[in-house]
Amino acid sequence: MKCNKKEIAKALLKLLGKLGLIGLLFFVVTFVIYMGNFENKLIYYVVRPFLNKHYDSQVRDRRIV
Amino acid sequence: MGKLIGFIDDKLKRFDPVWRAENGKGGQRSRYHDVTGVAKYREWRGVKDTMFDYASWLNNVLAMVKMVGSAPVSIMKGFWEYRWMGSYLGTFMFIDRLFEGYRGEELRVAHAQMHAIVRSLTGRIGYILSHDRRLGASQAKSEKLVPMDEVLPELFMTGFPGLYPVPLQTLPEFIICDVDQHIEPYYIDVAESFGLPADVCSRCAAETGVALDDAFPLVGKALITTNMPCNASEATSMFQRRRVGLPDYQATLAMIHNDDELALPFSRQIMKETIAFVEEQYGVKFNWDAFFKAARRINEQNNFELEKWDYMKTGYTAEVGVSETLYKLYEWQSVNGADPYFNKVDRKVMKRLRKCYEKKYQPFGGKTRHRAFLWGPSAVYYTDFPTWVQNCWGIAIVLNMDSTMGFNMIDTEDPDKAIDDLARLTQKATMRHMAVGGWDNVNAVWEWAHNFNCDMVLMNDNIACKGMLGVHAIMEEQARDLGFRFIFIEHDLEDSRTVSRQNMRDCVNQYMSIVLNEEPLDPTLLNFDDSDAY
Amino acid sequence: MKDLKHLIFFENLLQDAQNELVTKAVEEGKHALGYNCYYLPEVLLNLDGCFSTRLRAPRCTSTDVATYYMTGRTCPYVRSILERAIEGGYNYLSAVFGSESCAAMERMEEHLYLLNPIKHENFFVTIIDPPMRGDKTHLDYYKAQLRKHVLAPMEKVLKADTSDEAMRRAIERFNELCEVITQIGEFRKLDNPPITGYEFHVIQVVSEVCPHELILPYLKETLEEIKTREPEPSFPFRARVVLAGSEVDDPDFTKLIETCGAMVVADRYCFGSLPSREKIEILDGESAFDAICRHYLHWNQCARFMDGMKIDQRHSELLRLAREYKADGIIYENMKFCEFWSYEKVLASHIMSAENGIPCCTIEKEYALGSVGQLRTRFQAFVESLEIKKINE
Repeated sequence: MKCNKKEIAKALLKLLGKLGLIGLLFFVVTFVIYMGNFENKLIYYVVRPFLNKHYDSQVRDRRIV
Repeated sequence: MGKLIGFIDDKLKRFDPVWRAENGKGGQRSRYHDVTGVAKYREWRGVKDTMFDYASWLNNVLAMVKMVGSAPVSIMKGFWEYRWMGSYLGTFMFIDRLFEGYRGEELRVAHAQMHAIVRSLTGRIGYILSHDRRLGASQAKSEKLVPMDEVLPELFMTGFPGLYPVPLQTLPEFIICDVDQHIEPYYIDVAESFGLPADVCSRCAAETGVALDDAFPLVGKALITTNMPCNASEATSMFQRRRVGLPDYQATLAMIHNDDELALPFSRQIMKETIAFVEEQYGVKFNWDAFFKAARRINEQNNFELEKWDYMKTGYTAEVGVSETLYKLYEWQSVNGADPYFNKVDRKVMKRLRKCYEKKYQPFGGKTRHRAFLWGPSAVYYTDFPTWVQNCWGIAIVLNMDSTMGFNMIDTEDPDKAIDDLARLTQKATMRHMAVGGWDNVNAVWEWAHNFNCDMVLMNDNIACKGMLGVHAIMEEQARDLGFRFIFIEHDLEDSRTVSRQNMRDCVNQYMSIVLNEEPLDPTLLNFDDSDAY
Repeated sequence: MKDLKHLIFFENLLQDAQNELVTKAVEEGKHALGYNCYYLPEVLLNLDGCFSTRLRAPRCTSTDVATYYMTGRTCPYVRSILERAIEGGYNYLSAVFGSESCAAMERMEEHLYLLNPIKHENFFVTIIDPPMRGDKTHLDYYKAQLRKHVLAPMEKVLKADTSDEAMRRAIERFNELCEVITQIGEFRKLDNPPITGYEFHVIQVVSEVCPHELILPYLKETLEEIKTREPEPSFPFRARVVLAGSEVDDPDFTKLIETCGAMVVADRYCFGSLPSREKIEILDGESAFDAICRHYLHWNQCARFMDGMKIDQRHSELLRLAREYKADGIIYENMKFCEFWSYEKVLASHIMSAENGIPCCTIEKEYALGSVGQLRTRFQAFVESLEIKKINE
């Protein structure tokens, strides 16, 4: 029983450690994206030109109804 | 911990644009790539504020993820179908621009309010696109939605809890023009390619372009248009009703409305007919209890607003500039009592504002030199104008035109009284109570400016707004007589090609440097090219 | 054709807002009441002791002061009116009855009380909030507005008799004038009319700006003259057009079109006779005031009406005019910076040409006819295209 408790505590600690690590990784990755403004750079330099190209090639039903 | 943060702040302060501007080592604009408006890196605001800004960014990212998760196929189809949807990707840059230079309490208030907008708007986009017949929604599913004019406040629709009001122009035009300065010129060009002159209001020209380009979501089974706010919006509705092709009702409230004797009975009747139209077309009954519930929310919001104003009059407030006016615009015009989350945010913000007043908190490190009342619509937002004038010249925008929309209370027990209050509130919608409807509405500028202890009035001068152009010199003469510092800021509302952001900024630059002989707080903000920015 | 006997007299009456007939009526003690828009029922301003005069700013070449007040980006018509008021050209007016028909017009009317440029004892300005739909709710609102902003001040300040009997008398006089103008206008339906569009335009405008009582004898005489007038041996124009749109109070604009080869056979614009010269009918049991309001709301075809019924009416009415007056095409004009007609001409010209096969020409104009070279070229090209169409048919 005692052993079990220790094992559970150990497993919990391990889990917390893993969660902490994931959390830390998540923080580091997202904070780097945030601080480096990378998502906006991606949107501005890649996504937007791609979408604009698509929109410009659309055939729209443009008329006075 | 405090010491550690202090130590880090001290070491990293040379990255803080405010510190850099103060110490002649650059400023806000130093961290941007010219022309594109893309920042090389985000603003360093000190440890606490940067972490708060980061957390708020993350919170908004999650709201976006939730939106996509709510209807992934419809959202993707929406991005593919609608040009205006692509512009929503500029939201993060938009938020960054708006809150440049914000620190401490004003940053917290601004983000709390902005998140409410992001949360509500993303939810709305997801819902509308998933009910859009063009994107594959069934007729039956789509018919729960009621397309209506964006300027018509939605409060009356809360009496139809089973229906979902869709301010039709809001997604493709009214809001997105604030985020992306390049989207509406496309639709304006479409309208002009059919012969519409370039001298009409660009907002309405853009709406016409959306209609002609067949870019409105296809929802609902009956349409409500309105005569608000002005001549051009009345005229553009002709095109929209034809393109939408649904049975329509025109909610033509009294134009000259500061007259309870004639205007109120008429506007009351129009509100009754509008409700009857929805009942008839959608086969549902108006639910007064649901309406009263929403009316209580509006009343609470209006009470908060009046309390906020008392703080704003003193200068000891964290409710400032663009965050104040944008939140008010969205909460009033687009939510209008329908979403309790906004009341929750209001309560939190009010607690903070009360404390700020007690502590005599001064926003922006107390660097305000002038207090200005701003009279401006959309061009205020896509230029992040209140933020820029604060950071560049130390001019605090105490209150903007959009915050002066109807703030009368709604009776929550008697339907007859409630409908009168609803008519009064509805008449005072965005732009229409300010730019048209009689001299009294414009003349009120001075009273507002005086009551809010402003020494300056910044008048956005829409080069196509016939209502405001018609009082040009009278305003200037009055400003002189009443002793206000007064600047006309030319703009073409939603067409930044005619009057660029820098042209607008130059109106202030010239007045501040030539007339007042003042030096900018941040010289990097004086002249910069952001013509290709969102 | 032989010149009309009174044409030069009529043309001279249009040279000044305060012409000799206006001066005479004022000297006789009548109140001159200015107005700008069809929304203000002309007949109400012609109650006993009063006469209406629709505001024009003839020979206005510069609007410098008005442009200072209203910028150069607002309607040139309203700026010209304000300029003329500031110049002192309307000091004969006892009142101006305004209408929030459009923002620019309303702002101009506000300047008339903010700047107070019209120097006349007890001068006043009132502004109505006109209806935007043609249904009963809006009719009731229209009545309430006219009662408060027209009848009440007429009674109180001008001491005018606004009783039902007085209104019936005014309607009778008004109908007599309308009958004369309508009869003259009907001649334009003929294949080879004994009157030109220009002449009719002059006649219509004098009937709007002069005291009805004083101009009517001349109009009656002109009608009799036209009845026996010998037209040209053959139709002297290359095409027939309807002119539609915003304010055209200068007959020289019609003359410009006609010198390009197209006769203006129907005038569906502000200041035109279609509508404005329809007789008012009082129904059984109806008061004169109710009849007036109903009549004006029904016939009004302003581009600001928003409801489907009125939008359709203004298009079907134009179709009717084109057919009845045998027009080959329609010229849509709008005053520069006019929001309503800017939109309407895009939609209506599409409906007329694409849906009904009637060729349209759309143009934008200034108030004062200055440099008209571009317009002339447009009209000439349009006339040519109408001719080619005829040949192809």
